[in-house]
Amino acid sequence: MLSIARLTKRYGDNLLFDLREFRLDAARAYVLTGMNGAGKSTLLRVLAGLAPADAEGMHFAGEPVRLAPYPAALRREIVYVHQHPVMFSTSVAGNIGYGLKARGMAHAEASKLVEEAMHWAGVLHLRGSQPSTLSGGEKQRVALARAKVLHPRLLLLDEPTASLDGEAREQVLALIPSLTQAGSTVVMACHDRDLINLPDVRRLKLRDGQLEEK
Amino acid sequence: MGLMDAVRGAFGLLFNGDPVLWRIVWISVSTSVLGLLIAAPFAVVGGYAIAMTQFRGRRVVIWLVQAALSLPTVLIGLLLYMMLSRHGPMGGLQWLFSQPGIVAGQVVIALPVLLAFTLAAVQAADPRLAETAIAHGASPWRVMSTLLYEVRFGVMAAIISGFGRVISEVGCAMMVGGNIAGETRTITTAIALETSKGEFAQGIALGVVLVTIALAMNGAMMVLQGDAHAARGRG
Repeated sequence: MLSIARLTKRYGDNLLFDLREFRLDAARAYVLTGMNGAGKSTLLRVLAGLAPADAEGMHFAGEPVRLAPYPAALRREIVYVHQHPVMFSTSVAGNIGYGLKARGMAHAEASKLVEEAMHWAGVLHLRGSQPSTLSGGEKQRVALARAKVLHPRLLLLDEPTASLDGEAREQVLALIPSLTQAGSTVVMACHDRDLINLPDVRRLKLRDGQLEEK
Repeated sequence: MGLMDAVRGAFGLLFNGDPVLWRIVWISVSTSVLGLLIAAPFAVVGGYAIAMTQFRGRRVVIWLVQAALSLPTVLIGLLLYMMLSRHGPMGGLQWLFSQPGIVAGQVVIALPVLLAFTLAAVQAADPRLAETAIAHGASPWRVMSTLLYEVRFGVMAAIISGFGRVISEVGCAMMVGGNIAGETRTITTAIALETSKGEFAQGIALGVVLVTIALAMNGAMMVLQGDAHAARGRG
């Protein structure tokens, strides 16, 4: 689904990573582990077009694409979710429908999809709530719904369970497998043992600027 | 005339609907609002663009914008006077000593205020907002509208500050407008003229109008913000 040849990221003279080949298969879940500062978040941000990097070649869904300038078409296929998702100043439903509106989808169709996504994430009761009233776990679930509603081919989640505990964490963990079942490839940067040990998840580790599959 | 007589005279002018006084107020408010309406789109988009784009010379541009905040309005008036005078490059417009000339001055005065405040508001916004919009497929225009909506109180503060700056300036309006009664006499140029003649009543009345406008604008801002800052202060 995605392959990048020789993906390198530098900060000045410092090399963060130099990946000879980076490949992701369709509708699979991956966890990306590594020490703090290994470049996990940066790698996700590079894939989302939010940080620059160098690549010798890149293919997405069988088509050759460039990493820079990042193609607008890729932005519609790849969605990135921050470790601490930020909400826009609108209702929960408005947040979840943001990307659909950006794609120019008709209101009625978008409303139906937003409703389904809210149901999936268990946030139907929060439909009209303002994001400032949400807990961390609710925000994370709204952010996942906001991403899932777009049916991205590639979903990049930066530490989706970080700073969550108890029921909130369990609720987020329960949503992850259904993302791949819906056809998305999911890459999660994480330290969370329960995420790493989810069934049918491939484990990648960034160490010393190299990627290892475990 | 004693101070109390002047104050009584001022309120008499205000509440008896003195046509000369209210004509002055109208000229001031209409030219200021028009100047702001012209300057705001350019300044807000410009402030956003400077905040969000990395380019060579960006720091110099920010330095110049901030320096322009402290330019004396009389100097802006002088430059505009030279541009608009009969032999100046814009003399053909015949805007000197006219309301369009005052509006042009208000635009030049308002631009750096609006630009600098918008720039500061966008720079202070959480960078994840723009990234989230981008990462969900928003076009550059939608990213801009999203972010400007998120910092709308900062942009409103910019517009209120810009209005305060243009309606209270005297140098440019005096030089470019010429202080012509009923045509280009604004609140500030009228206050300067009346005071120089020893007529304080009209000056005080116009000062009351200026203070009222300032209170109303800032009150509206507080209402729009939902009095959030005040609530935090109490907490």
